[in-house]
Amino acid sequence: MLAAIKPLQPIGAKEDTMFRQTVHGFLLLAALGLQAGDTVKLAITGPFTGGSAPMGASTRDGAKLAIAEINAAGGIQVGARKMKIEIIERDDEAKNERGALIAQELASMGELAGVIGTVNTGVCMAGDKHLQEKGITKIICPAAGSASMTQWSKAGVKDLSIFRFAAHDGIQAAMVVEEAINRGFTKVAVVFDSTNYGVSGRDDMLDQIKKQGNKLTVVAQEKFNIGDKDMTAQLLRAKSTGAQAILIWGIGPELAAVSNGMAKIGMKVPLIGGWTLSMSNFIDNAGKNGNGTLMPQTFIEEPITPRAKSFIEGYHQAFKVGRIPSPVAAAQGYDAVYIFAAAVKQAGSTDTHKIKEALEDLKEPVKGVIATWNRPFTKWDPANVETHEAFRREQTVMGMVQDGRVVFGNPADKARLIKAAAGTAPAKPAAAKPAAKAKTK
Amino acid sequence: MDPSIIGQMAVSGALMGLVYALIAYGFQLTYATSKSINFGQGELVMVSAFFSLTLTNLGLPYWLMVPGGLLFGALMGLVVERAGVRLALEQKGEGWILLTIIIGLFFFSAAENIWGRDDRPFPTPISADPIHVLGVDVTRLELSVAVGVFAIMGLVELFKRRTLLGKAFEAVSADRDAAELMGISATRTVMLSYGLSGSVAALAGILVSPITTVGPTMASALILKAFAVAVVAGLDSGFGVVLIGMFLGALESLASFYLGSGWREAPGLVLLILALALRPTGVFGKATIRKV
Repeated sequence: MLAAIKPLQPIGAKEDTMFRQTVHGFLLLAALGLQAGDTVKLAITGPFTGGSAPMGASTRDGAKLAIAEINAAGGIQVGARKMKIEIIERDDEAKNERGALIAQELASMGELAGVIGTVNTGVCMAGDKHLQEKGITKIICPAAGSASMTQWSKAGVKDLSIFRFAAHDGIQAAMVVEEAINRGFTKVAVVFDSTNYGVSGRDDMLDQIKKQGNKLTVVAQEKFNIGDKDMTAQLLRAKSTGAQAILIWGIGPELAAVSNGMAKIGMKVPLIGGWTLSMSNFIDNAGKNGNGTLMPQTFIEEPITPRAKSFIEGYHQAFKVGRIPSPVAAAQGYDAVYIFAAAVKQAGSTDTHKIKEALEDLKEPVKGVIATWNRPFTKWDPANVETHEAFRREQTVMGMVQDGRVVFGNPADKARLIKAAAGTAPAKPAAAKPAAKAKTK
Repeated sequence: MDPSIIGQMAVSGALMGLVYALIAYGFQLTYATSKSINFGQGELVMVSAFFSLTLTNLGLPYWLMVPGGLLFGALMGLVVERAGVRLALEQKGEGWILLTIIIGLFFFSAAENIWGRDDRPFPTPISADPIHVLGVDVTRLELSVAVGVFAIMGLVELFKRRTLLGKAFEAVSADRDAAELMGISATRTVMLSYGLSGSVAALAGILVSPITTVGPTMASALILKAFAVAVVAGLDSGFGVVLIGMFLGALESLASFYLGSGWREAPGLVLLILALALRPTGVFGKATIRKV
């Protein structure tokens, strides 16, 4: 095995698959036993327990995988020396008030290089202001609610230390609406949860319906609460209005309750919604009722490229699972760490302000598992949130639940990604076509 | 108003209401013999459901898992009785109120530590596919709730009427002191009632879990409804809890359909207040005169 270790290469360079696999064997061991002072302190936050845990834990584990790889290669080249990454882990339990406490704690920590994490939009809204006040660099990953970035443009903040590495709901809502239009629907029901995430998702969808030419009529708007198990009332109302599809924004357990409720009342229409429909607690609790559900994804757990293969196998081995609880969150956590590491290297410092400046102008492309990131962020402009958003439409594909897994909803997307990885074609979205062979429920 | 929608909402609500009724029945069993109630009954439902899930994951078939779960529920019921109720009753105090709440909290923490905080699916061989009966869609899973509830309540009632032990149970319920004078051990009968109550809670957990998933907080909403059902129906009518349970369930889902899902709980609470104001002993309760 040791023979497989080649001379160390700088981060971002093409790494050997064999080498990575060797590294995965030493995972976590490498992250332990580090000495303070000569490390890059990186906080990872998110809900590691509760209904959002599949996303939080996957983000954390994806990030840890990347950190273990970087540390096993000696660390990040910071100026003249190599520094390892030290993880500071905090569980916010998806609770806004805990998120705020953790953000305050992190903001008062000296020597913190940055923060990666947060799954819940409400937690971003509650906590990020404390980090922004102290100018601590944070990459939001994978909270997708639009509000967590637009709050800064609304406030007209001149200099922002908060970045986002997730396909924000604006992109996702556009894809969801597009999918419904392409399938020839005219009447849809909009269903959402009562959290910041659900409500801002509904606003995005309604906004997109308007932007895309008012081709869809919203015949019902239904709300549910976190913890609700019985959605019969909402669904019957949607059914009685003749909705041809349900466009939905919520998280795993309640989404599953909706899917199961639809099966119960014999409502055979497609469920299309935010990326949370790929959470394991949706897929497991919905069982076969979840088949055919469509959602935007940034990463599909299919080893279609060498990088994806090495990442998926590495994750499975390191965390002893046969399926990543939330592949999107894991892949984003992984790529976010590599982007952060590239920024530290470019800054030549662990000073969080310098890292922020480097992030806004990354010179070297960062090869991640989702894509190769060329200058993912630019200087913050309050008039354009996209300056601190890494994802565009082309890094996002339509996924579909199929027998307990998320697969490509649109084969053209798969072909495009394989081509892009081979370096022959530019990453351009496939011609918008209804996702193939999605079972109409 | 579409009658088929009203029918659908009423039926699926009423079937859920049977779960409230079953939990409320657990209150009645212990109240009858000891005039005490396990305020941690919801946690009993939850730990028994988790235990049954563990049995299933160990590979036990459904028909073996159910008795296993019931036995576990009975054991936990006995634990509650021994640790939280017996001393308080001997001292003729009300200490059991706080003690049963504390034991419930203990079960909750134990469940969080043993099984984690996540909601988990509960596998069952009973199909969740809907069947169409008289214009209403019901799943076999929901029907299994009805079957299970009526089966266990029927069995317990038969037991109370037909067996010697059951008659002792009734005797202690009617008059504890007189029963003791006749040589019936009231302590043992109270133990029996807590064991039965625990089994009933376990069955409620096993029946409802495939529909709602299993998690530490799964019973917190159920238990409040069950309280309302027990109070509205009265604490000594098994027949009453079934009727009121189904009525409350149907009312809830009709309210959430016609008033909006945010108003789901409102009619139940109004009902509770009305019942307390107009019939404090419950709609089906007997107004007894206490001789001093």
